[in-house]
Amino acid sequence: MDENKKVKFLSLGLVRGIVFQVIGSLAGMGFVMLIRLLMGLPAWNAEPVWVGGTFVGVFTFLIGVGAFSDWFKWAKGEETSDHIEADPSQPKWAKYYNISYDHKVIGIQYGVTSIILLGMAGTFAMIFRTELAAAKLQFLDLGLFNSLIGLHGIVMIAAILLGIGAMSNYLVPLMIGASDMAFPRLNAFAYWLNAPSALLVVISLFLGGFDTGWTAYPPLSARAPLGMQMFFLGVYVIGLSSILGSLNIIVTVIRMRAPGMNYFRMPIFVWASVATSIISLTATQLIALSFQMVMFQRLFGMGFFDPANGGNVVLFQHLFWFYSHPAVYVFILPGLGMISELLPVFSRKPLFGYKWIAVSSMAIALVGFFVWAHHMFTAGMEEYLRVPFMYSTMLVAVPTGVKFFSWVGTLWRGKITFPTPMLFTLGAVSVFLLGGLTGPPNATVATDLHLHDTYWIVGHFHATMFGGFMFPFFAAFYYWYPKITGRMYSEKLGKLHFWLMFPAFYVQSLWQMYIGLLGMRRRIGDYDPALNFDNSHLVITIAGFTIFVSVLIFIYNLIKSAKQGEVAESNPWNSRSPEWQLPTPIPEHNYTDHPFKVTGEPYDYGLEGSTYITMSDK
Amino acid sequence: MKHFIRVAILVIILTVLIGFGLDKVGYMPELASVQGEAIDELFTKHIWVISFLFSLIIGFMLYSFVVFRQKPGENKDGDHFEGHTGLEIVWTIVPLAIVMYFSFLGATALAETRRADPNAYNITVVGSQWSWRFDYDDYEFSSSELRLPVDRQALLMMTSTDVIHSFWVPEFRVKQDALPGEGMERELRVTPTELGNYKVRCAEMCGTEHAYMLADVIVMEVSDFEEWVEEQQGGPSGDAAERGEVWSQQFGCQACHSTDGSERIGPTWLDLYQSTETLIDGTTVVVDDDYLYESIVDPQATIVEGYENVLMPPTGESMTEEQILDVVEYIESLSEHE
Amino acid sequence: MSTADIRSEYKYKLGTNRLGLWLFLVSDAFFFGGLLVSRFYLMGYTRPHLEQTLGLIVTAVLLVSSFFMNRAETAMAHGDQKTFLQGTLITLVLGVGFLIGVVGVEWQLAPFGPNDGAHGALFYMMTGMHAFHVLTGVIFLAIVYRNGRKGLYTAEKHWAVEACATYWHFIDVVWIFFYPALYLIGTVVG
Ligand code: HEA
Ligand code: HEA
Ligand code: HEC
Ligand code: CUA
Ligand SMILES: [Cu+2]
Repeated sequence: MDENKKVKFLSLGLVRGIVFQVIGSLAGMGFVMLIRLLMGLPAWNAEPVWVGGTFVGVFTFLIGVGAFSDWFKWAKGEETSDHIEADPSQPKWAKYYNISYDHKVIGIQYGVTSIILLGMAGTFAMIFRTELAAAKLQFLDLGLFNSLIGLHGIVMIAAILLGIGAMSNYLVPLMIGASDMAFPRLNAFAYWLNAPSALLVVISLFLGGFDTGWTAYPPLSARAPLGMQMFFLGVYVIGLSSILGSLNIIVTVIRMRAPGMNYFRMPIFVWASVATSIISLTATQLIALSFQMVMFQRLFGMGFFDPANGGNVVLFQHLFWFYSHPAVYVFILPGLGMISELLPVFSRKPLFGYKWIAVSSMAIALVGFFVWAHHMFTAGMEEYLRVPFMYSTMLVAVPTGVKFFSWVGTLWRGKITFPTPMLFTLGAVSVFLLGGLTGPPNATVATDLHLHDTYWIVGHFHATMFGGFMFPFFAAFYYWYPKITGRMYSEKLGKLHFWLMFPAFYVQSLWQMYIGLLGMRRRIGDYDPALNFDNSHLVITIAGFTIFVSVLIFIYNLIKSAKQGEVAESNPWNSRSPEWQLPTPIPEHNYTDHPFKVTGEPYDYGLEGSTYITMSDK
Repeated sequence: MKHFIRVAILVIILTVLIGFGLDKVGYMPELASVQGEAIDELFTKHIWVISFLFSLIIGFMLYSFVVFRQKPGENKDGDHFEGHTGLEIVWTIVPLAIVMYFSFLGATALAETRRADPNAYNITVVGSQWSWRFDYDDYEFSSSELRLPVDRQALLMMTSTDVIHSFWVPEFRVKQDALPGEGMERELRVTPTELGNYKVRCAEMCGTEHAYMLADVIVMEVSDFEEWVEEQQGGPSGDAAERGEVWSQQFGCQACHSTDGSERIGPTWLDLYQSTETLIDGTTVVVDDDYLYESIVDPQATIVEGYENVLMPPTGESMTEEQILDVVEYIESLSEHE
Repeated sequence: MSTADIRSEYKYKLGTNRLGLWLFLVSDAFFFGGLLVSRFYLMGYTRPHLEQTLGLIVTAVLLVSSFFMNRAETAMAHGDQKTFLQGTLITLVLGVGFLIGVVGVEWQLAPFGPNDGAHGALFYMMTGMHAFHVLTGVIFLAIVYRNGRKGLYTAEKHWAVEACATYWHFIDVVWIFFYPALYLIGTVVG
């Protein structure tokens, strides 16, 4: 039996990477100290030593795991192969802990890492929600509370970015009929960048934390404890990963499509992925720049955002939001693509207005570049920018609306069934609707003067992120589960997961909005008892725990069904998408032995005798 | 057609239920300023549009779930229907019109909140970690609470001595960040309409004690206000220690230093005078007048052990010589020694 | 020939690689764009006090290097190994010269440090980030030169050379924006 093979612990790439990271960080620290001595400075100064050391550590991790090996060979002028042969002395599962160039393996690596981060961030939320359940400080101090909310925010965001990586890496090549991504090495490299950097972000908690929230505005972030620098460095590297990942997606879609797969015949999720990638590829550079500027302000006294040294605090916010607003569309576009992908399958009807939906993704992405300053209406930025940014922000509602109406059109007169993936898809539509509709009141400047930095906003963005990412992500997991594992998940547990999470989420988000309007500020560990928010906060906390438990059920379901689930058919949903026409498990080189031609439209459900692809077995 | 009529009825019922339901629950705090009126009016419109659009989509969905579901035993596909360009155009144009109209309303309401009264009187609002100070520029005195006469516009100039803070009184609705730096003063206009006590709640994350960065707001009759102004203009009376207490409140020292021995960001002032402090370089000092003076004027010169990671802001720079000496006197008075 | 076979041909891969490189440059351009925007946001129509002649020299050096890079690449495309190696080497030397000029000389001559106001911060950040890119370019050139001497490139297959050249020109273009932003536009202060 495969499982009985002894694993040499150190031979796992992940373990080797972490060992290398620790050694590399220490060596890097020593190196920085040496330079400081040579410069005539005292050797120890926590900040530069930690930053320099851990920065080196990130690269030694990558060397350890083997992400650089091929490039070193290229530099030496040696030939390399596009595939990595699995070490035969190791059991099959070990490939997930090692570097692999197979996009399906990388997709799963992304997915599992995403769930682990989700669990971590969710746990942080449970800790601070318990504190918030009643007024006064119970068991956290304010400093720790502040670090926890910031970490909750950023780790969740990292989990989203990785979750998107999972979906697009696994699905895009399969959907367009490619045998792999355009740049398999780069793909692996981009994935492995996340591991050491996630570690850095979490380490920040043990280096004093950071009391700024995930937005890290200076000058506060310029004075925060050392943990701040680890946060900056970690996010910086994760950003690099998403730039490289999205570059790969765009090139793959442009260059690797199967014959006949023209742009308006691709499964709709591919469109969403491309729109997302355009944002990640370009805008991410600006959050990197803004973080780098604060890091350098702290390290070298460069006064970008230091008013006493020629700087301007508003500049940071412009740079930061130039990425971080478009980023919220990065979070949702793949999820909305997922909704558009699954609705036709479970309503047995063509996707209503395919082209309009495809173009609306692009429109959201592009308009999204011109709205960033709506986070700064009260920030004291240039007065004359407020009204134009209000108009541009409101514009996003139009293409988003097109999606909603088209989804309704897809359901109308369908033959709808409700297995777990469909439940999550429909839940996503309603939750994202709530989140989206609470956007325009924030966008009209006057009302935002009241709403800004309150729990109303917290409610708004949890609804958009749950509706635009969490629900579709779970839907996707359930939907492709039989293709990935060859077994069916437990429908009963899946439904239980949904019926716990869905109502609990509404309770959580609506109550957040409600107390926000009444005067509950964001990012406070203790609230004025005079405001009478105790009961509402208790309700939110209970709802939060319910979501937490429901996700535990999901994880249990995933693990248990992988071993004990019923063996699944190769196309249990009767889908037209190419990956379902392949045998389960999907062959290592996808379509190399099953080439196909596109001969029809992707979503022609209900049209007698129509085909999407014609597959010829070699 | 009958499908559409039924859905229309469902949507109308849902809209009315949600809209009036929210109205009944009451979702806004008490309104106490002229500026807030325009905001509340616009927000109510938003709520109605949200109620309608939510009901519209959800109504259609719920109806489809019931009527267009796969019946047991059935295994059929739905109608083959790929889209409808006319419809797509309609649901592009109509929302576009709505959002443009709302943007226009937003701009008008914004202008309303910014309408200037030439007789507005000036108050400089100074935020520092983690307290507020209000400089009544027209009368040349400062206060740690914000007192405003009813029905008169106040022009608040926001500024900060350290990081970004944000001035927000929920009952006034409007909000504005206070930025550090020269030339970064930002204005906010408030015309209170209701007598009463409110609180400024700092709405921008500004560090550890951000949660507690509050200040009292008292809206009073014009005559009461004038009386209060007169009282303040004399400056705090009494002996140096009493004045020192007032200064230490105004300049926000007490956000970090307790006077009853309790734990805060900085060392307590109770029994500080004449006590022996260990500094981070290991030396010890006996706290005397000079040490206190220096600690206020140049906080980084001597740092007490255990406080390496928190910076005391250079608030002393904006205090006058006498004020500092008063505070020193006040700290002395908090000690048994003398 | 099947699709899979076409896809694994060198020519098809070349097109894919080109697209990838260009997208990377687009992305990087946003970083430099952000720096330029910050420069105008903080400094407006003022500029730091810098050594004008030196600025002119390093700019000329970089521009000339681009010419040699181009020569090297065209030579390779025609299979002219010798001119190719010569061009690469000259580019490399000029690149190092540029680095010495900026980091070794200008940074020492500048009458301000990175912690002297917005001018100091932006000057060191902009030249520093650009110099970092030049440095990576120089390393890339060194690798190409070494492999070139081993005879690994042919007129048909020399993607590494092409990539190196494109990257080098990109760095050059960035400097064409940075040079006036730092040396020419606005009145001198600080
Ligand atoms: C996934 C993430 C996501 C998404 C999709 C959105 C979508 C939108 N967001 Fe949100 N937002 C966040 C995540 C997201 N947001 C986060 C994380 C923050 C806080 C950051 C922080 O400070 O920490 C935030 C904050 C935020 C602010 C700043 C608030 C403040 O701090 O003061 C604003 C202001 O304009 C805003 C507006 C909008 C708008 C107009 C949309 C629109 O895109 C919504 C469009 C959708 C619809 C409108 C619904 C469907 C449309 C129809 C049914 C058609 C008809 C509609 C009309 C005619 C109105 N958001
Ligand atoms: C994807 C994004 C996401 C998600 C899913 C959540 C989920 C939750 N969030 Fe979070 N939240 C943010 C993104 C998100 N949040 C962001 C960006 C901020 C802003 C931060 C800032 O202001 O800087 C924020 C802020 C924020 C606040 C405001 C804090 C403040 O300003 O004071 C609150 C308060 O109630 C809150 C609560 C919750 C709760 C109760 C959940 C619950 O739904 C959580 C439920 C739990 C899970 C989903 C995890 C379950 C997982 C497991 C059980 C698996 C365990 C197993 C393994 C380890 C494998 N969040
Ligand atoms: C942001 C918090 C903060 C504020 C506001 C603040 N302080 Fe402090 N203070 C500290 C900290 C922390 C220390 C200890 C570190 C040090 O010695 O610098 C300290 C130390 C002192 C000391 C020396 C105490 C000792 O034990 O030796 C004095 C005196 C003092 N502060 C006075 C003041 C006065 C007067 C003000 C107001 C004008 C003020 N502080 C405002 C945080 C603060
Ligand atoms: Cu000041 Cu928050
Ligand atoms: Cu936004």
